[in-house]
Formats: sequence, structure tokens, C-alpha cells
Amino acid sequence: MSNLSLFLGCVAPNRYPGIEAATKKTFSKLGIELDDLEGASCCPAPGVFRSFDKVTWLTLASRNIALSEEMDDDVLTICNGCYSTLKEADHELKSDADLKKDVNEKLFETGHEFRGQHDVRHVIEYLYQEIGVEGIRELVTAPLNMRVAVHYGCHLVQPLKEADSRLVSGDITFFDELVEATGATSVDYEDKMMCCGAGGGARAAAHDATLRITEKKLENMADAQVDCIINACPFCHLQFDSGQKDINEGSCTSYGIPVLHYTQLLGLAMGLSPEELGIDLNVTSTSEFIEKINDGSLMA
Amino acid sequence: MSSNIERCYQCGQCTSVCPMGEQEQTYRIRRFLQMEKLGLETEESMMVPFIFYCTTCYRCQDNCPQDVNLVDAVLAIREKAVHKGKMLEAHKKVGQMLVNYGHAVPTNADAMEKRVHLGLDKRPPTVQASIEGLSEIKTLLRLTGFDELVAESKPVEHVESAAMMHQTCFTQQQVVEEGA
Ligand code: SF4
Ligand code: SF4
Repeated sequence: MSNLSLFLGCVAPNRYPGIEAATKKTFSKLGIELDDLEGASCCPAPGVFRSFDKVTWLTLASRNIALSEEMDDDVLTICNGCYSTLKEADHELKSDADLKKDVNEKLFETGHEFRGQHDVRHVIEYLYQEIGVEGIRELVTAPLNMRVAVHYGCHLVQPLKEADSRLVSGDITFFDELVEATGATSVDYEDKMMCCGAGGGARAAAHDATLRITEKKLENMADAQVDCIINACPFCHLQFDSGQKDINEGSCTSYGIPVLHYTQLLGLAMGLSPEELGIDLNVTSTSEFIEKINDGSLMA
Repeated sequence: MSSNIERCYQCGQCTSVCPMGEQEQTYRIRRFLQMEKLGLETEESMMVPFIFYCTTCYRCQDNCPQDVNLVDAVLAIREKAVHKGKMLEAHKKVGQMLVNYGHAVPTNADAMEKRVHLGLDKRPPTVQASIEGLSEIKTLLRLTGFDELVAESKPVEHVESAAMMHQTCFTQQQVVEEGA
């Protein structure tokens, strides 16, 4: 198995750095070294840039993969959007020699080459397939006792349909299983596989409509009386976390559900403090949640 | 995947599960596909800006009995519109972020403070900490013509160094805060 370089994308390092810190800290506990992907850019975002100009989208994506290949690493993404872009671009370039040649002609101008000899991984499918649910369970030193709403996100599931359909045929449970390995309970809720609302450039194009989609999801999650929302994507994270504030202001509601990336949940179960994982840095307050972690009422 | 909208037989099962269609009466995916199929260029104004509202959630596609690649079709319609100059202002700004900073969502003062607080480098080890990396991005975006595609008629100020990059970052950013 190749070593991994950590592809950060935009939203994690520049809005929710707690996700970046949590990824590094949990992987270090797993004994896996993550290389920095120095000089990486936006993936670039699958909905917007791919639909503005496909060649641009492929070119920048191939540069990001090439940077990782230069270190002989596979790419590890912590974001569904980045996964969708890099996985699909990687696939297209590997299966179309002319396209690869075209893109490489541009990349040569910057001293890089897309060789297509490595893989693109998403942190959730990586943990599930390489460490395994049992492997995660063994590393849990501070088992959790909480009800969580798992949000897969569209661009975790969709690329897997082509890349690894075993994980997404029939009932999809791989993310829930990883969550439950921490001791938490993944609670079923209505329309669980529904979109967060933000993707595809819609957040910029039709902000209010995307928030109404988000609000429907939040309503269903709140009905299921969950302690937090667990996602696998900083952009979904942003839509749920900062979206709750916007929704409360616009609709006179009072949503206050803490939003965590899976790496932050895993960090808690590995005995890291909420502050080390940046759980205190959300827009929607997490102070009550953190108190309950500290007084043990959300711990097993 | 490529576009295969000729397979569509207009059953409407895509529109019936579309979360954006539920919120926006004007967003009708089946209709957009039909207009595209018929080549109704004159009716394009009915598609723009709505075609840019799609969240690319794939729900329509999962529900289509004819295995139409709806999301690819949406992206192709958008690409055509963008190349005719019909890009939404908000998306153009996101494009300019990419040209200027190599990120659709660049850093800001708040993020840098949080990073330091977490024991991370103030700037992530991306193009935001690499003048050379940023210049590679600019070269590639020039080669693909993307810089022209998102340029204002009055050219946006190009920022050359990572140090300078910052100051203009904040003002521009307020316009499209996290708009990607
Ligand atoms: S569900 Fe498929 S076949 Fe039916 S209208 Fe939509 S695209 Fe056409
Ligand atoms: S992918 Fe776009 S058109 Fe299809 S259901 Fe989702 S929002 Fe609607």
C-alpha cells in the first residue's frame, strides 16, 4: 500500500481548520504518516469549475494528483467535493490517452506530469477498507455514548458507484458502521441520504433555496433527537453549521445541533479533547455538547 | 460518462424527486433537458440562471428509469452557457478567486487565528504558502483561457506575491464569502 499525502482543499484549511487538525491527530494515532501536499490548490470544485470549463477542471485536478505522485503517494481527501473531482478526473485521465496527453502538454509548462500510477482515496472509505471497523474499535480508548445523525453527502456516494460499487450497492452502511465503532449510535432519520443543499455552485447561485433544503434535513435530524451531526465533507459541514445561524435568523427557528466531521468524532473516541480537535470553533455553539463530553454524560 | 439525453422519454420522475425543484418552482429539470434536446436556443433565457441552481445531488439520476446521465447533461448545458458569456456574477467571483489565489475559498484573518490556536501553520501548506505554486496555477489558467473566461471587462487586479495576496483577499472575499 502506498503512503498518503493529505489533500486539504479549500474549506477545511480556510474555514474549519479543526478538521485538518483532527485528521492529522487521528492518523498519527493510527500510526499513519500523512505527507503535506505542498503547493496544492483548489481541487477544483466539481460543480462549479467542471461546468464552467472542463479542460480547466481537468488540468488543475491533474496537477494536484501529479504533486502527490511526485512523492510516490496516493492522495487522501477529507472532503466529498475534492473526492469527486480528483477521483473522477483521475479516472477520466487514466482511461483516455488523448486527454491525458492534452493535459500533460499544459502541465509540462509548469514542470509536472500526470502519470496515473496512483490512487485517490476518501478518508471514510480508506478507514473502512484499510483499517476496518474492528481495527477502529480496537483503537478507541474513550468510547462515546451519543445519538448521531450521519450525513453521507452526495459526492461520497456517487464516485464510489464507479470506483467501488460494493460499498454502495443495496443498503449503504459503511459510514454508519465506522461511526458506531466509536460507541456512538447512528440514528435513522427521514430522508437521510438527501443532499445538504450546498453543492454544485447552488450555494452561491441560490443561497436561500439551498438553506430551505438544509432546513428540511435539520428538521428531520432534530425529530430524531440527535446529539450531533456527523459528516464527511467540510462543505456539508459549513452548510449545516453556518447554515443553522442563517436559518435561525431568517425563519425564527432555534436550531443548535453541533456539527462534527468524522475525524473529530473519532478523535474524541481516541481520547483527544474537543479543543484539540477544534470542535469549539464552530459557528453554531457547541459549548453544551463539550460540557457533556467533559462531565461524561456523552461518554460510555 | 457522456450526455445521453436522447434516451429521455419525458416521464418526469426526475423533477418529482429534485430537492431544488421542490424549493424553486422555476427549477424544472425535465423541462431543461427537453429544451436542450430540442435545441431551443431562443428559450435559453428560461434556463439561465436556473440551470445554475442544481446542487448536483444525483437524486434525479438515481430515479431515472432510462439511465439518463442528468448531472452530466446539466454540466454540459452550463458549460455552453458560460462560454457564451452567461455566467452568474456570484460564480464569476468564485472563478476570480481561483485565478487570484488558487483557492475558491481563500484564507482570512479568522481562519489564520484558528489555525494558530490549533497548533497548525498560520497558512496551510497549499498555494497559499507557495509563490511558485501560485504562479503555476496562473500559468495553467492562462493556457486554458480560464482567466479570460472569468475576467471583468475592467481587468481585476492581479496580485503577484503571497504577501500582497492577503490584503486584497479580504475585501474581495466579502463579496462571495464561501460561495463555491
Ligand atoms: S426521469 Fe429520466 S426519462 Fe424520465 S423525464 Fe427525467 S430524464 Fe427523462
Ligand atoms: S442533481 Fe440537480 S436536477 Fe438532479 S435532483 Fe439534484 S438538484 Fe435536482
